[in-house]
Amino acid sequence: MRKELEAKLKAELQDDVVCVEKSDERTIMVDVKREAVRKTSKMVTDINGRYLCSIGYDNIDRDGTIGLVHTYSVDDADRFICVRTSAPESDPTIESITPDLPSAGWSEREYMDLLGLKFPNHPKPKKLIVADDWPAGIYPMRKNVPHDLVPPGAEDVAYQLDEAPPGTKIVPIGPFHPSLHEPEHFAVYVDGETIKGCDYRGFMTHRGIEKLCQTQVSYNEVPFIAERICGICGSVHATAFSQAVESAGGIQIPRRAEFIRTLMLEVERIHSNLLWLGVAGHLIGFDTVFMQAWRVREQIMWLCERLTGNRKTYGMILIGGVRKDITPEIADDIRKVIDKVEEELMVIHRAIEKDTSIHKRTKGVGTITKEEAIAWGLVGPVARARGVDIDARRDHPYAAYDEVKFEVPVLTDCDVWSTLVIRVIETFEAIKIIRQCLDKMPGGEYFVELKDKIPPLRHAITAIEAPRGESIHYVITGEENRPERWRVRAPTYPNLQAVPLMLLNEQFGDFPIIMGSIDPCFSCTDRVAVIDLKSGKSSSMTKAELERLSRKTPERA
Amino acid sequence: MWLTSKIKQVLMVMKPGVVTLNYPEQPAPAPKNFRGAPVWDHHKCIGCGGCSDHCPSRCILTRDVCQELRVMLYDGSRCTYCGRCADICPEDAITMSNSFQMACENKEDITTRLELFMMTCQRCGRCYEMENTNSIDRIDLKGFRYDNLEQRAMIRKTTENFSLEVLAETEHYERPSK
Repeated sequence: MRKELEAKLKAELQDDVVCVEKSDERTIMVDVKREAVRKTSKMVTDINGRYLCSIGYDNIDRDGTIGLVHTYSVDDADRFICVRTSAPESDPTIESITPDLPSAGWSEREYMDLLGLKFPNHPKPKKLIVADDWPAGIYPMRKNVPHDLVPPGAEDVAYQLDEAPPGTKIVPIGPFHPSLHEPEHFAVYVDGETIKGCDYRGFMTHRGIEKLCQTQVSYNEVPFIAERICGICGSVHATAFSQAVESAGGIQIPRRAEFIRTLMLEVERIHSNLLWLGVAGHLIGFDTVFMQAWRVREQIMWLCERLTGNRKTYGMILIGGVRKDITPEIADDIRKVIDKVEEELMVIHRAIEKDTSIHKRTKGVGTITKEEAIAWGLVGPVARARGVDIDARRDHPYAAYDEVKFEVPVLTDCDVWSTLVIRVIETFEAIKIIRQCLDKMPGGEYFVELKDKIPPLRHAITAIEAPRGESIHYVITGEENRPERWRVRAPTYPNLQAVPLMLLNEQFGDFPIIMGSIDPCFSCTDRVAVIDLKSGKSSSMTKAELERLSRKTPERA
Repeated sequence: MWLTSKIKQVLMVMKPGVVTLNYPEQPAPAPKNFRGAPVWDHHKCIGCGGCSDHCPSRCILTRDVCQELRVMLYDGSRCTYCGRCADICPEDAITMSNSFQMACENKEDITTRLELFMMTCQRCGRCYEMENTNSIDRIDLKGFRYDNLEQRAMIRKTTENFSLEVLAETEHYERPSK
């Protein structure tokens, strides 16, 4: 694969290709000059490369450039292709690939904010990550910016929402809203009850975890911080980070540790799918499902408490293996619990599969076609419900997934209902995988100590199938016993970008379940928008105005 | 169809009945290997500072007051109970207890403070280095350490010999503000 790709690129781009090399058995690194990025990207997508995300990194201290890596996955050949380029600090301009690949939009906007890269032909070069009042010219991901910098805030800056389509009204949803479980802001443009568009502003509770881990802690603390990226798929991020570092450093971990990791990931999948099933029921006002799914889920939480010492944030994974062994007693415990869960989930499944009230709320809702799903790079159950047959566990087998057998359910109804069905089926598959893991688990060590330091400046990428989709972690190893650059792309990142498309021409009442169907996991907030009903114009309130308003009420009382 | 589904749902709800526990009247003890609040055994602690180096939330602080006296402070208000300190401790001086009802009015109630008389190993944290064979878990702040206990801040600066100047500098540490 590497040779064909190199020959093709060399023939097309001649001197613009610097080198094409294999960094590990499934990753191909392509170094190109920045003029050729868009062309290379096109050629990679032509050979079935599916765009994953982009990674920007500060290399100013070494050669005065800012690096950018576009990553692609070739699913049928089990390969990752990373197109690496750089731009000098004095002129950080790189051609945008967003016109060809809409899902690259956020990644590129992210590095406009964080590294000061410029993409002249980007279709929507708005702020994405940093706060609206973040001072211009300070790029937090650059090395010269300290991790604890707190610049002074400004009052009169507000995010400009997209222009509303003519004839529509704006309904602001968020930052705090009963149907949203985390703070984020949607401006939904409606014509009567029909949604005609939507703009999104988030990322304001951006915690700077990547920066923190690149500057403050050492390798083996990062899995614990990675686990706290997400309250639901913690193990996924810790495993992904550890695997990326292991792949970069060429570390072989014991087979038993890989089986235990697989087991933890699948236990997490059961709990996450049950949680989501409950939330989905809750969002359409069907609280029976919510109560019962969470009742079944509670056994998994207690199991994890006995297994790892905590309900969530298991803290099981370290670079080099896992922290706790699965003893025969614990294995019996797991078997008992999953048998019970399987039985009870079957009862729930039978009770709701033919319920017309759920069908009415979810069938034919949130539809986008398979082509659109591919174009926007959807991942996980959301993509599989739209006929896109991808699953990192099968396409890029990691941990012990090469040894266990499981089905990847794919449906073609393209709506919320099929997402729901897929997640229920996947829970049953997860139970199967856990049983196989327990049966096949080899003996031996479960942790390997590292004799040597991890070599610096190695690049590695890893994909892990989280319950809600595929998580990508990209690590550049560093010199000071910590990663030089660590990029996390959670599954919500591509899925959320396609939400405006899913919402288009749907009923406003279906907003919560469409939003909920991607199982969003975000940290974001915005100011309060005040809508002038006559003109349809939106303006924003300043903090002082809000404070004044909030104080008025008690005075009156 | 609608009716059979509803009947099934009624049965699904009826069968388990009430499952919520009568907590706190009826206590719910934590399982055996639960990771609760860490407990220090000051007889075993050698003051190597390994736990403070590897605490992901930086809630274990080390301050050398003078050549002979080292203060180790554990700030429970920031602890994530990951149990990394207990893993890393070469002397098994830290155990993760079963207690989880940690809410309190005063931060000091969940703070542990050890004052240790130091002998030779304070110079380089060598005792820890000898014990730990995993190369990425070696101690990275060797020598004398000056974390700010008042601000509960870890300061990534150490010296070979005890330095009053650095101590004075770090005493006035302030958290970044706007």
